[in-house]
Amino acid sequence: MTPLHFSHFQALLLFALLISLAFGTLGRRKPVERVKYAAWSFAMFLLVGIALGWLMFPFSR
Amino acid sequence: MLSWRAQARDTTTVSDESTTNSADELAGTSGSSEVHAAPANSSPRQEENDAPSPARAVAVALAGWMLPGLGQALLKMWGRAMAIFLTVGCLVYLGAGMRGNVFAPGGEDAFSRLGYLADLGTGSFYFVARALEVSGADVSHADGDYGTRFLATAGVLNVLAALHAYEAARGRKA
Repeated sequence: MTPLHFSHFQALLLFALLISLAFGTLGRRKPVERVKYAAWSFAMFLLVGIALGWLMFPFSR
Repeated sequence: MLSWRAQARDTTTVSDESTTNSADELAGTSGSSEVHAAPANSSPRQEENDAPSPARAVAVALAGWMLPGLGQALLKMWGRAMAIFLTVGCLVYLGAGMRGNVFAPGGEDAFSRLGYLADLGTGSFYFVARALEVSGADVSHADGDYGTRFLATAGVLNVLAALHAYEAARGRKA
């Protein structure tokens, strides 16, 4: 298998997308609620991930 | 004015409908195509057979653990089954492709043992990950480290899905 290479942000996007899809599907029953929950979860993953990244930035050097 | 026989029939019909509705609510299928409750005209013996049993729920959960999404598929929750199968499958494929660590049994430290447990959560996909990763893990780069997390997350997510299938098979709200 050819090794896959992703940037940090691409890996975050992929992870957030897949997990949000699963959370939305398992966590809610109605299709509209599933989409809303998945979108909210995806946005929170990105927001918290980027916020934590910036919080750790002063300690990176 | 209704005779006592007609009244009894009416009462039975209402009772059957309310039973079906509450079963739908418990199974979380009202208003969707994922209906697996007993039909309103089923006999008491048939309803007894359709009643959720712990052994069947455990079998459904085990099936869901062994093959991601199979538990939901057995309960005719097709959308959820497909979503679980694809999500866990993609996470395993990406994790192995990024050369994440697929932990082997008999790890030396607690992290290795916990990692093995998490990876084992993917069921049969654990062996798929091992087969895909022919050149071994490479955690000296960020890709490999992320891959390790992808694989562990796939396992934990599959265990969550198996527990969800168990709850749904028991007729609880899921």
